[in-house]
Amino acid sequence: MPPAMANPRPSNSNSVHAKLPIPALVIALTLPTAVGAQTLESNFRTTGPGVVAAFEPQRMVLQTSSAVIYDGRKEAIYGVVVSPQGDILTKASELQNIKKLAITVDRKKFTEVTIVAIDPTWDVAHLKVVATDLVPVVYAPTSAVPQGTWVVANGATSLTRRRALAGIVSAKIREVPPAGGAILGVTLKQDPKEGDSPLELVEVQEKSGSEEAGLQAGDVITAINDQPVKTREDIAKALKDAKAGARIQVTYRRKGKSTTVEVRLMAREQMADQLSRNDQMSGEFSKRRSGFPRILQHDILGASSVVGGPLLDLDGRCLGMNIARATRAESFAIPVEDLKTIATRMLADAKNNAAQEKPATPVSPEGDSTENPERKTYPID
Amino acid sequence: MKLLTTCLLAAALPWIPPPAEAARPYINDKQAPENRKDLEAIQTALTSVLDQARAATVCIDLGQGSGSGVIVSEDGLVLTAAHVATGVNKDLEVILEDGRRLKAVSLGVVADCDAAMIQISAKEKFPFVTVDREDSTRLGDWVFSLGHSGGFDKERGSVVRLGRLVRLAETTVQSDCTLIGGDSGGPLFDLQGRLIGIHSRVGQQLQMNMHVPMSVYVQNWDSMLKSEFVGEGPFAQKPEKGKGFLGLASEKHPDGGIKVTKVGKDTPAEQAGLKEGDILLKLNGTALETRAQLQDLLKEMAAGDPLEFHATRDGKPKTFKFKLGAR
Repeated sequence: MPPAMANPRPSNSNSVHAKLPIPALVIALTLPTAVGAQTLESNFRTTGPGVVAAFEPQRMVLQTSSAVIYDGRKEAIYGVVVSPQGDILTKASELQNIKKLAITVDRKKFTEVTIVAIDPTWDVAHLKVVATDLVPVVYAPTSAVPQGTWVVANGATSLTRRRALAGIVSAKIREVPPAGGAILGVTLKQDPKEGDSPLELVEVQEKSGSEEAGLQAGDVITAINDQPVKTREDIAKALKDAKAGARIQVTYRRKGKSTTVEVRLMAREQMADQLSRNDQMSGEFSKRRSGFPRILQHDILGASSVVGGPLLDLDGRCLGMNIARATRAESFAIPVEDLKTIATRMLADAKNNAAQEKPATPVSPEGDSTENPERKTYPID
Repeated sequence: MKLLTTCLLAAALPWIPPPAEAARPYINDKQAPENRKDLEAIQTALTSVLDQARAATVCIDLGQGSGSGVIVSEDGLVLTAAHVATGVNKDLEVILEDGRRLKAVSLGVVADCDAAMIQISAKEKFPFVTVDREDSTRLGDWVFSLGHSGGFDKERGSVVRLGRLVRLAETTVQSDCTLIGGDSGGPLFDLQGRLIGIHSRVGQQLQMNMHVPMSVYVQNWDSMLKSEFVGEGPFAQKPEKGKGFLGLASEKHPDGGIKVTKVGKDTPAEQAGLKEGDILLKLNGTALETRAQLQDLLKEMAAGDPLEFHATRDGKPKTFKFKLGAR
């Protein structure tokens, strides 16, 4: 079942509300024209400069340990500085739209940026700039802080100065299952001819677990987790309760030879035409906002691009990394425990790969069972 | 100024006594927090009352979509929005924090201010919050909202958001606690954990979050307890008189009352257990004499109105209590 917040029963409410003359009128009466109404000046609202000024110590941490990721000269997203040597983590799926990648940390600008690796399970990208003296974030000891605890994250920014936005921890730490379920990332033959298997692949999605495992167009899936499959329904049944990021055994036939590989399942992206009523009232939100093994929810609600940066506590320690603006009222961060594991693993992978002078994500062309030992460590719990 | 607004419907607890009234936090009398101590004052106040507030916050399942509400008495009186309750005497289902589902029925609504009251039917002791009857919050006070955003999610729980009161008007208060569908009817609290408002609607900007102040509830408290429909909308529509549906045919009975000659299939009358041959003597206290008289009585009623028939079957007295259906 999809999580209610990511995918509220769409319509429903419409049926109740469609009848209402939607209260523009009511608001119009009670708001601007109401006599004697009192209004708080914007400076002192929760996101106003007068309030945000109280978060100067945390802003200073954002100044040195958050990265501003630019597309040319336009601020796109943020990143978390995790080493003095220029290692930066950010939200991977947001990088896709960036044509000219540049990064600013504090006042230093970096125009040579390498995308070292991507972790599709957590939607985290590892970026590298040439540096020796960046100030990495200091990790908080735990993300298990009480709800209502202050948190601070990147707001808007200028070339030289970061801004802070503050909010609170809003809900329980939990998994956010993929909104549309877990998928292999392959396209099956649409109208198989008599005698053809309906489970022949016509396309393998880029960066999918199936591609990583070496599946190719023309392969025919014959079993999942050792259970024979013959129809689309068989596959759907086998994946029904599976989670994105989980691994399953896929057996396929290629040129008469049968092979079994381990495939990482991915989250189905939400289709644009499936916008729920809550999405419609949300305005901007992150494209990838579900299918996370664990998230910390908070109410810092900047623009949808305010992701990728660190989530700080009042001590300026990193409680997590902002990974999705889920709706108008909900933001998600990867909790610090998981962020630490991801950072440690991605930095170690990069080091190993550099030592072996291998590409960051080797793909075995035969899709055989020589497993990449590094990949085994993707956490799914 | 374009003001697009949208109603916010989505989509066993240990009993904790309400805490003793805390003093008004000093931070509310400052223009803005200035330092760590001020910020911690907000955080400490909020976290100390959050558990109680959360225990009393419920999801209201409408079958199609859901809203929120908050329990304000030990015996399960719930405050919510009129557009969540949708009317008087409606059967609803309330979901407690632990996922337990309980039957409830809507009492009165204030249709022009989006206020409503419902009663949980189960007889037990519920966790509840204190209503700020004195209307003691002021502009700029720090407040927090709870609600089952997007519907009930036990893994997540209700969602808490912090903000300030940014606008006060007679029947609407505005906060910068950001709300979304499913929060409708949910509670807005001051830092002492007192209920000060009920979520009603939002504008497109994140700062446009509208709540119904407690003063509206306090003024209409007795009417709502008596299941009255106050106001003319737009947040709930009064059922139209004369559109009710009973589902039986009758004729004058020579010995007094009227005799049921036919009961329609799948009608309110059938569901209430009425049968052909039953003699109806009284409807809601009025003696019945002719079929035309029964029709006149029903013409003055609307779908959802309660019916109580005193009748006899095979000479034995019987009472049928049910609600008038919709045609």
